[in-house]
Amino acid sequence: MIRKIKVSLSEKIILVFLILLSFVTFGTYIFLKKECLFIKNYKPKNINFKNPNNIAILNAPCGNVIIEFYPEISPNSVKRIKALIRSNAYDNIAFHRVIKNKLIQAGDLEFGKRGSLNYGKIGTGKSGLGNIKSEIDNNFNYTSGSVGLARTFNNDTEDSQFFIVLQDEPLFEGEYTPVGKVLYGLEVLKKIKSQRHSEYILRPDFINSFKMLNQ
Amino acid sequence: MNLIRAILLLIFFITPLKANTIYNIIRIPNLEIYEINTKNKLKYFYATAPFRLGTQKNIICSNPDKNDLEIKYKTIYKNLSKYSYDYLKKINLKYIVMCENLSISELYTAGIPDNIMKTLILDIKFNEDYFERVIHHEVFHIIYLQHKEIFNDQEWLEFNDSGFKYAECSTCTEKIGLEQYEKTKGFFTEYSKTTASEDMAEVYSHMIYLKKHEINKVRKLDSILNNKISYIESKIKQIDNSFIF
Repeated sequence: MIRKIKVSLSEKIILVFLILLSFVTFGTYIFLKKECLFIKNYKPKNINFKNPNNIAILNAPCGNVIIEFYPEISPNSVKRIKALIRSNAYDNIAFHRVIKNKLIQAGDLEFGKRGSLNYGKIGTGKSGLGNIKSEIDNNFNYTSGSVGLARTFNNDTEDSQFFIVLQDEPLFEGEYTPVGKVLYGLEVLKKIKSQRHSEYILRPDFINSFKMLNQ
Repeated sequence: MNLIRAILLLIFFITPLKANTIYNIIRIPNLEIYEINTKNKLKYFYATAPFRLGTQKNIICSNPDKNDLEIKYKTIYKNLSKYSYDYLKKINLKYIVMCENLSISELYTAGIPDNIMKTLILDIKFNEDYFERVIHHEVFHIIYLQHKEIFNDQEWLEFNDSGFKYAECSTCTEKIGLEQYEKTKGFFTEYSKTTASEDMAEVYSHMIYLKKHEINKVRKLDSILNNKISYIESKIKQIDNSFIF
C-alpha cells in the first residue's frame, strides 16, 4: 500500500523560496551580461552646441561620446585629429590601452584595426601623415574627460593616437598636448573593456565610428 | 612558431599591471606623490622603495625614512620656493624626487639633475651641514645643462690665477669639502676646485644662500670671486631678466 505523504507548509515555503531564488539568479545573470544597461546614449541632434564645428561624436559599444575640440589651445593637433576623423580613419580602431577608471587610449591606425590587430606592435602604429609638434599648454587642467594626444617618450612625436582621462590627472599638465574635452558620455568610456593585469587589451573594444557633428 | 607566439602573448597579457603615471612621465619607478599643489608648480615625489636607473642601472637610491622626509621636505620646499614658476620653466625644472643614499656608480652624490626629464633627484640625507645650499648647487646643474650654450668653461677658467688647474672630473679628487673658506682666494670651497661647472655651481649656490651683505663682502675682498659672481649674475639675467639673487 502506498501512503501519500502530505507536503508540510514549511516545505512549501522552501520550494517557493528556491523557485524565487532561481529566478533572481537567472535574472541577475542576464542583466549583468548587458554591460551597457543604465548607460545613457546621448543623441547629438537633441543638444545645442556653442561651437558645432568643434564637436565630434565617437560611437563606442555602449553609445555616443560627445567631444569638443579646442583649436585655440592646440591648432595643429586639432587640425590633425579632425582630418583623420573626416577621413573615417578612426572607424573600427581598437581601444588598445585601457586602465580602468583612469585612462583609455585609441588611434593606432596601423596596428589597431579590427580584423587585422597586431598584438605585438599595437600602440606603436602611425597614421602615415608624419609626426606633429607637441602643443603643450601649462594652464590646461587635465580634469576627468580631457582628451590629449598620445606621444612616445619624447615630445614632438604626436600623430594619430589619443587618450581620454577618466579621472583628474594633474601630473599630465604641461606634459601632453590637450586637444579637447568630453562633454557627454564619459560613462560610455568607463564601460570600455579593460583587464586586471594589463594596460594592453586582449580582444579589445573598438570605436564603431568617429565623426564630426557637421560631417 | 605559433606556440611560441601564443606563449609570448600569454606572458604579455598576464604581466602585472603597472599603471604608474609618475613612471610614465619621468621614468623613475617606485615613486609616489608627496606634494603637487605648490605655488611655483614644482611636483614633489618620494621613493616608496629603492630604485635603480640608467642604462647600466648604476644610479641607485633608497626610500627615505618617513620622519626624515617630513623634516627635509620642509627645507627643500622652503629653498625651492625662492624660484618662480616662470624661472623654473626657463630652466626646465618641474619634478623633485626625494630619496636616501643616492649614488652613481657607487659614489654617493647629493643630487642628480636631468634637464631632459625636468627632474632633480635629491638625497635628503646628504651632508646635513650644507643641505640647503647643496639644493641650489644642484639646481645650477640643471641650469647649466639646459643652457649649455651660454656658459663658457674657457671664459670661466680665465678668471682663475694662471697656474691653477681643475681636476679631471668632480670625482677624480679627494678635495670635496663643502665648508666655506675663511680666505676664499677665488674659490668658495674646496669642492669648487674640482671642475669649472662645479665651481660655477658653488658660486651660484652661495649667491642664493648667503645674505646680500655677505656676498658684497666677498666681492670686495676677492677680485676673482667678484668676477665669477658677476659672470653668473649676467648669465642668469640672460636666462631670466627678472630673477633677483
